[in-house]
Amino acid sequence: MSILASIVNKIAPIYPQAKRWLHSFNGGVFPQYRKELSSSQPIREPIIPERLVMPLQQQVGQPAELLVKVGQTVKKNQLIARSSKDANKALVVPIHAPTSGVIEEIANYTLPHPSGLQDVAIIIKPDHLDESIKNPLKVSGESPNNPKELKEILLNAGIVGMGGAGFPTYAKIPNEPGKIHTLLINGAECEPFITCDDLIMQTEANAIIQGALITAQALGSSKIICGIESNKPAAIKSMQKAAKDTLVEIIVVQSVYPMGGQKQLTQELTGIEMPHKAHAVDIGLLMMNVATFAAIHNAVRFGEPLTSRLVSVTGLGLAEPFNIKALIGTPFETLAQAAKPKFPLNYPLIMGGPMMGFKVQDNQVPVIKTTNCILANPPEPVEMQMPCIRCGECMDACPVNLLPQQMYWHSYAHEFEKVEKLNVFDCIECGCCSYVCPSHIPLVQYYRHAKSEIKEIHAEEKATELAKQRHEFKLARIEREKQEREARLKAKKDAVKKQAENKADSESTSKPKGKASAAAAAAKAAAAKRAAAKNTASGSADETATSATSDNIPPARRKAIEAAKQATHQASKQARDNNGNISSPKDAAKAAAMAAAKKRADAKKAKKQSDSLDNNKTRDVEPSVSKDPKQAAKAAAMAAAKERAQAKKATQKDTEVEQAPDLTTNLTQNTEETPASKKEAARKAAMQAARAAAKKRKADSQSKAQTKNAQNNEDASNSKQSNQPITEASSQQVDKQADRQTDRQTDKQDKKQKAMQLAKANAAKKAAERAALKKIQENSEDTQS
Amino acid sequence: MNAPELSSSPYTHNNQNVRKVMLQVQIAALPALFTHIYLFGFGIVVQWILAVMTLLIVEYVMLRMRGRPVLPFITDMSGLITITGLVFCIPPDSPWWIIVSGSTFALIFGKHLYGGLGYNPFNPAMLGYAFLLISFPVQMTQWTLPSSLSGHSISFLESAYYIFTGHIPGMNLDALTGATPLNSVRTGLSQGITVVDSIRTEASSHLFGLSSWGWVNVAFMVGGVWMIITRSISWQFPVGFLGALGLMSFIFNQIDPNLYPPMSFTLLSGGTMLAAFFIITDPVTASTTPKGRFIYACGIGILVYVIRNWGAFPDGIAFAILLMNIAVPLIDQYTQPRVFGHKR
Amino acid sequence: MIEAILIFVGLAIVFGLLLGYASVRFKIEGNPTAERIDKILPQTQCGQCGYPGCKPYAEALAKGETEVNKCVPGGTEVMILISEITGLEPKEMETVEEEDKPKEVARINEDLCIGCVLCIKACPVDAILGATKLMHTVIEKECTGCELCVPVCPVDCIDMQPIPLSTRNWKWPEPDETIAIETINQQSDINKPNQGEV
Repeated sequence: MSILASIVNKIAPIYPQAKRWLHSFNGGVFPQYRKELSSSQPIREPIIPERLVMPLQQQVGQPAELLVKVGQTVKKNQLIARSSKDANKALVVPIHAPTSGVIEEIANYTLPHPSGLQDVAIIIKPDHLDESIKNPLKVSGESPNNPKELKEILLNAGIVGMGGAGFPTYAKIPNEPGKIHTLLINGAECEPFITCDDLIMQTEANAIIQGALITAQALGSSKIICGIESNKPAAIKSMQKAAKDTLVEIIVVQSVYPMGGQKQLTQELTGIEMPHKAHAVDIGLLMMNVATFAAIHNAVRFGEPLTSRLVSVTGLGLAEPFNIKALIGTPFETLAQAAKPKFPLNYPLIMGGPMMGFKVQDNQVPVIKTTNCILANPPEPVEMQMPCIRCGECMDACPVNLLPQQMYWHSYAHEFEKVEKLNVFDCIECGCCSYVCPSHIPLVQYYRHAKSEIKEIHAEEKATELAKQRHEFKLARIEREKQEREARLKAKKDAVKKQAENKADSESTSKPKGKASAAAAAAKAAAAKRAAAKNTASGSADETATSATSDNIPPARRKAIEAAKQATHQASKQARDNNGNISSPKDAAKAAAMAAAKKRADAKKAKKQSDSLDNNKTRDVEPSVSKDPKQAAKAAAMAAAKERAQAKKATQKDTEVEQAPDLTTNLTQNTEETPASKKEAARKAAMQAARAAAKKRKADSQSKAQTKNAQNNEDASNSKQSNQPITEASSQQVDKQADRQTDRQTDKQDKKQKAMQLAKANAAKKAAERAALKKIQENSEDTQS
Repeated sequence: MNAPELSSSPYTHNNQNVRKVMLQVQIAALPALFTHIYLFGFGIVVQWILAVMTLLIVEYVMLRMRGRPVLPFITDMSGLITITGLVFCIPPDSPWWIIVSGSTFALIFGKHLYGGLGYNPFNPAMLGYAFLLISFPVQMTQWTLPSSLSGHSISFLESAYYIFTGHIPGMNLDALTGATPLNSVRTGLSQGITVVDSIRTEASSHLFGLSSWGWVNVAFMVGGVWMIITRSISWQFPVGFLGALGLMSFIFNQIDPNLYPPMSFTLLSGGTMLAAFFIITDPVTASTTPKGRFIYACGIGILVYVIRNWGAFPDGIAFAILLMNIAVPLIDQYTQPRVFGHKR
Repeated sequence: MIEAILIFVGLAIVFGLLLGYASVRFKIEGNPTAERIDKILPQTQCGQCGYPGCKPYAEALAKGETEVNKCVPGGTEVMILISEITGLEPKEMETVEEEDKPKEVARINEDLCIGCVLCIKACPVDAILGATKLMHTVIEKECTGCELCVPVCPVDCIDMQPIPLSTRNWKWPEPDETIAIETINQQSDINKPNQGEV
């Protein structure tokens, strides 16, 4: 190394670029440093300006939360803007008042940012008393033993990286101890003109070393390396003195720009080339600027928040450049004027060094936590930009080994995806390429532009993707809702269809209906009432008919279904309650049959209501209707005034009881299951035969109807034709039997009940037998088909 | 104070510019120019003046036609490098219209029609040379013999007279012109004379053990080394080119010295050094990546050797360079350096 | 003769196998055209193309049922991309979006909002929050700026506002070459008389 260095030093006068052989990263440039301008001067006494401007956002991340009001008096170190609750996520750092004074204004103010945009700032009018709060962070002065405590202090102290990037320091520190094995102190300060780090190392070497030791203790790091560029001998000496007998190792590194870059210095000090996209923390390294370590020391030991920083005020346009412990918020121009400008300051000052700084859009912008230098270089005649001659100087100078020239071509042509492919995001914007470009192309600005464009493109892509997803989600939601609605509709439609089919089937069975209606007519109902009943019945029947063909469910029917469902509930309950009395309605009906015509009419009406209900609701409505009217008619004919209402109710309930299971089976079971359910129903009917003939009959008819449904569904038209007569016959027979039975049991109600039950049981048995037969037949047909 | 125009850092520069780079190249060519004048007479000066005049006229007209600012681009010196390269390639006493048409073609078709400086894919000087070589083969191969060989040193005025009129009163023209060493080797080979014999005949004219062409080549090399030190050119170009060419000639010379000339002859004859330091180093048309530059230079070296020994032309530099110019985008694509922090 | 036939048969078999392999190896899934078009569409779901969203338009384009110049937010750039993908003839845009129109998002004037949910229904990306009779608000991050909610608002309380510029979304401008050229021209103009004097 030293041999190479001596050789290089000998070659350097002839071949200056030989110096590039002495450092581990590629390229680099050797600009005129001009550090002597400010480093030769002692640090100036602090200046308290007429007003301090404290932007709420001074670093990467989010603005802090305002805590003060206009007119409020604040003391030095008082918290004037705090971090949000989840500081880690939002990267917010609190702001403290740099001196005592009055909050004059809270307004938008030009930021020290290349854009010159404005943002909310607190403007303090200092009272020049400089009253301060002692130990505002309320620290014990003890070194924290774990990262969390340290982070807490750093957050409260509002410390950010003071080298330039301004990343909140607390956010850089990992939560777990032992993650960082080596702590790196960046004392390289490679930018020309800037000497604030040089001077802080000369004057506050102990604070820096202590800050590093505090951090190392909290993080459990076992090694501390400090890199200082060889062009700062005084700083090296003082740091070496302070670091004596401590963990800290001082390494003198080559003076080359950009040695102070995090990745470059890391490689120089540790030999580790930081992998692409990895953070230093990921590989167990943590690098901080010397000024940051000094601030850490002050915060931990004395509880001092970051309210001032060392700033180099220098440049070729100043007669007396200097370094100063400037209060955060001091306007640039105040400091520049203190350095006795040679020419009027009618040109923009530069924040930072000439390589990476930026021209401020207003010389009144304040010093912020990341301001390391205020540079007043009078504008020079700009060299004309020439076309790129592909000389490759930029590539030779690039410390990250990019192809600046090709990135330029693509940026120029707006082929941003190609620029990205050339790893533009690895560019540290150090400016070496522009510095050496013989064509004077503003390469860095091309890359910055390309970067912001690419970021926007990615953000847009993301937004587009999000929009697409959300749109698709919305469509899916609408579709799902539609399907759900359709499923409901379909279920209902199916029910209606079956009903319609049943209707068609039971056209032949309309005889009983006709009989019923005839009976009803014969019952001499009250004209008005009957008319009304008929109206509703026919109306609903019409609806049923239309609905059978059209897809819509008339609201009437839907209501009816709803009513039926509710009624089923009640009815089934009641049916269970008066299990034995199921046949009683009929007896009552018979009794009612003997009652007055008026009463009969009422019964008829009831029956018609049920009729209409049936029409609306279920598929086996027709058969049951055919019975129901009969029953009702009989009931109407025979019912006593008192029993009449009961009978009516019971009848209705009866039909409903019957409808409910049908409905449910319809909705839940598919056609393949129907034979089984039919059988079951038939069996049930057979078993219940003794109890209630009517019920049996209904069950019978139900099974019949189901049979038909099944047949229809399976499009077995032949079997339908062959089955139909049987069904008709059976239903007719059942009806006849029932008629006979009711006729016979007209004398005594109590006995009638039993007798009828018996008779009905017989009939039911027969019916069940027939049903069973049919089922067998049907099953065989099923299997055939 | 008005808001300043937004400009990005850096706000400092190493004060290098295109004009300076080009001027350095031009200065580096001076030793060769003086050697040339000493050995071949003032023909080249006349040619160079002719070329500069052509350059000024062509550049002015073209820049005007393209609507570009004339002064900054006419003074960028890039055209000067082009015509200097071309002037060294043509016979010093060839007719005036050779250099005029060659320069015109080189500047218009080699540079301006592609969009001017920085946008041309082919080396303009070599394009002009190839144009001349194909269009006027007779004039392009009749070289003025070195004064040491012809025994006659012609003056500046004589050269000018000859270039414009085609004859010098009272002088036998045939005595003045002849074949270049490369040519004589080639013709010798076709007549059954071995390379060794051909070179021995040439050796009679040697000055301190080197032929006139050898001396010009040395002069080019001196200027070239200076350019590497001042970083006007990259070392990869000459090293790659001379390395490949030297290696090729060494290997084949070992195989059959009667058929293939020795390495020293190959490296110091024809336009080898001119190409190595002045022509292939033209950054616009060369590869830009460090590896790419080396590959590009090696490719030219190999092609030059191939064309010289097995091709139809005595010196294949123009065609070798033009061929490799085509390959530049491909080379650049596949020789991108490993970016910091990235794995290969 | 026999050899020639054998050679050609052999070649046919080899190429057949190659083609067969290629068709399996490089098989393209699904309908790539519609998807590719969908990818380049701006996904504002604005419906200005006459289709209910970007995807239906992409599908219609893939089937060749519509013109390439219907995407207003995408503008000429997207139109050209579409014509490249579909192979259809590029067409002039009928309605031209303002050049360099800054991205806008809908903002609901919450004092005027009556909570009618009409805008919620209109929003193609569900970027409006709210419920009946309650004030609505736009999720700025998800708003595509399609302006579909603007006309449906019965009280006209929605307006489109550009996203304010801050240091977080500020972009470095491109170096202005025209200015450079102009200054060069000026310089050369200034220099000319000097040259003349010389």
